[in-house]
Amino acid sequence: MDLGNFLSYIASGTLYTLGASLIALPAGLILGLLFALLYLYGGKVLSNLMAVYSTVMRGIPPIVLLFVLYFVVSGSVNLSPFLAGSISLGIISSAYQMEIIRGAIQCVSGGQLMAARAIGLSQTQAVREILLPQALRIALPSWSNEAAIVIKDSSLIYALGVPEILRRAQLISASTQQPFLAYSAAAIIYFALVFITTRLLGRLEQKLAIPANP
Amino acid sequence: MTEPILRIRNLTKKYADKVIFQHIDLEVKSGDTIVIIGPSGTGKSTLLRCINLLTRPNEGQIFLNGEEITAKGINEDHVRQRIGMVFQNFLLFNHLTALENVKLGLTKVRHMKAEEAEVKAISHLKRVGLSEHMDKYPGQLSGGQQQRVGIARALAMDPEIMLFDEPTSALDPELIGEVLEVMRDLSKSGMTMVVVTHEMGFAREVADSIIFMERGSIVEEGSPEELFEHAHFPRTREFLGKISELYGKKEKKGE
Amino acid sequence: MKKVLIFIISIILITTLLAACTQSGPASVLDKIKKDGKILVGTSADYPPYEFVDSAGQKTGFDIELMEEIGKKMGVTVEWVDMPFDSLIAAVKEGKIDISISCFNYDEDRAKEVGFSKAYFNSEDSFIANKDFTGKIEKPEDVAAYKLGVQSGTTQDTWIKENLIDKNLIKEENVQLYERVDQAALDLAAGRIDILMADYVPAKALLKANPGFQMLLHEAIASAGPLNIVLPLNDEKVKTEIDKAIDTLQTEGVIDQLAAKYFGE
Repeated sequence: MDLGNFLSYIASGTLYTLGASLIALPAGLILGLLFALLYLYGGKVLSNLMAVYSTVMRGIPPIVLLFVLYFVVSGSVNLSPFLAGSISLGIISSAYQMEIIRGAIQCVSGGQLMAARAIGLSQTQAVREILLPQALRIALPSWSNEAAIVIKDSSLIYALGVPEILRRAQLISASTQQPFLAYSAAAIIYFALVFITTRLLGRLEQKLAIPANP
Repeated sequence: MTEPILRIRNLTKKYADKVIFQHIDLEVKSGDTIVIIGPSGTGKSTLLRCINLLTRPNEGQIFLNGEEITAKGINEDHVRQRIGMVFQNFLLFNHLTALENVKLGLTKVRHMKAEEAEVKAISHLKRVGLSEHMDKYPGQLSGGQQQRVGIARALAMDPEIMLFDEPTSALDPELIGEVLEVMRDLSKSGMTMVVVTHEMGFAREVADSIIFMERGSIVEEGSPEELFEHAHFPRTREFLGKISELYGKKEKKGE
Repeated sequence: MKKVLIFIISIILITTLLAACTQSGPASVLDKIKKDGKILVGTSADYPPYEFVDSAGQKTGFDIELMEEIGKKMGVTVEWVDMPFDSLIAAVKEGKIDISISCFNYDEDRAKEVGFSKAYFNSEDSFIANKDFTGKIEKPEDVAAYKLGVQSGTTQDTWIKENLIDKNLIKEENVQLYERVDQAALDLAAGRIDILMADYVPAKALLKANPGFQMLLHEAIASAGPLNIVLPLNDEKVKTEIDKAIDTLQTEGVIDQLAAKYFGE
């Protein structure tokens, strides 16, 4: 049946949506972690630089940043729209993740770091062994939120011509004049992706929770 | 005369223009237990944190076993490996079990193998009476238990001197006893200790020397008998009198 | 003070990034095409019957099939790149795609950014409305009395701007722009706009799909007329090649065949 074909055409965009998210989120995490540490421990110059980066990247709508990064930056390096778009999404996400991680680190009491230094751990060791394991647990709920946002924002790469879920829904809507069906299908797929992701992260949260007496 | 384990010379600490303490001179002989008493906010905790270089003094010098640790170019991490500290708020690593808390310094700082470190950690936990709780997390332990783990964690590093910053101030009264008992045994076993506390019973019983600090200076220093029976300065007598009244009652009840 | 510093540095960063965009392309994109054996063609496959997707998700339509024929004449395979219509011109400019076929009309402003092939087909403009629309539209300017809808970036869009808005025949807020023509059709059906201006051929397709619509007027208005393929600016070599292919296909009757297939009444 034609409808079934159309719907599976939309669904096959999931490959691109997932791919983009699986590139953007980890990229954003690695960069965000680095930037957060530089902001907190990198000295005055680096700290200010990171503050500017965060303010600028979070102050511009993602789609605008996407165009700037795609048409301007990748003008010299010829990347596919998918890669350029995914990496750009990662760069955008890194600013938000930097704030999440920074906030989480600052939630960990200063005493933890002090006790770590007191037994002779270096600053690097203290951050790695004591601060980060606690901070990342604190950051998980917010991070789960960011993961959902990245999956949904991945739809923005439609503007670069990547045949992901939204673009496919648009094409089917134009071809069949059945916008409700096309966009509902897209909505359901996005919802499923986000739902599964947040559930999995919720389980991770439970697994990592530190036991305590109520 | 043998070099004292700790020598503090003319130490001064300021925050902006506020003086925390000034011109502090202090010596601690090996195996001695020094108790520092005095009203809150007189710089006692800050003084302890200067000794293990968590805070830097503005003026003065500190010598650990004859070596000046306040000199330029000193590796602070190495110094801290030789000094143990126990905190008022225990400050156990929340994401690690009691055993892992004690093991961490051994594996990451002393670079021991995991099995070796575990054996040593367990023995220290036994020493403070907590071996059955070694797989529990700080959130599952009482305050007294947490503090004893804190002591084991510091001891496991084989420090040359142990610093205690009001170790029982954050504990419920029923739990103070178990911690003081560990500290008493430690003192008896010959560990050099500097203890900031309000526990007068402990000071009287265990200290080799008591120092009374007020408003950033050492007012008086002497043996427990000297200070408790015939203190030189009226301020000392006043403070001891008030405190003994408050805390001495516990002593009568047999702690 | 810190806020001012952040603002200034942000502006510097952004302008530096934007300035870094310099135009530097190969002598002719045709050399690259022949070398790779394939041509990257951009299109916005949301515009039946010129370019759209079938139930298998394959691109199809008048422009699509025509380009496949041109590719055969050039001896290269066609690799399609789909993207929103507004992005196509920039994509050719930046070299992300080699050329673009997507129901483009020649337009002076566009000609400053990109080049054009010769015409491969002639189109008209049209105005459609709901069947219950009772206004009298005898000439194009008559539509200025109503709420209009048009796809943004099209020559129809430009025509409305230059002939209606700039001449104060209609207020700007009475003209609604859409990313795609099927979005505009939805609003037309809902009554949010009164008249939709679009290319004649897709407008007929909309009429077929929406029995509630009627055709008010269609003719070759100033903006409409020939459809051209978009090429890189000042690239004579590739223009010659493509124009040659178009001529051949015209002579062979292929273009007429495709027109009958996709536009047949």
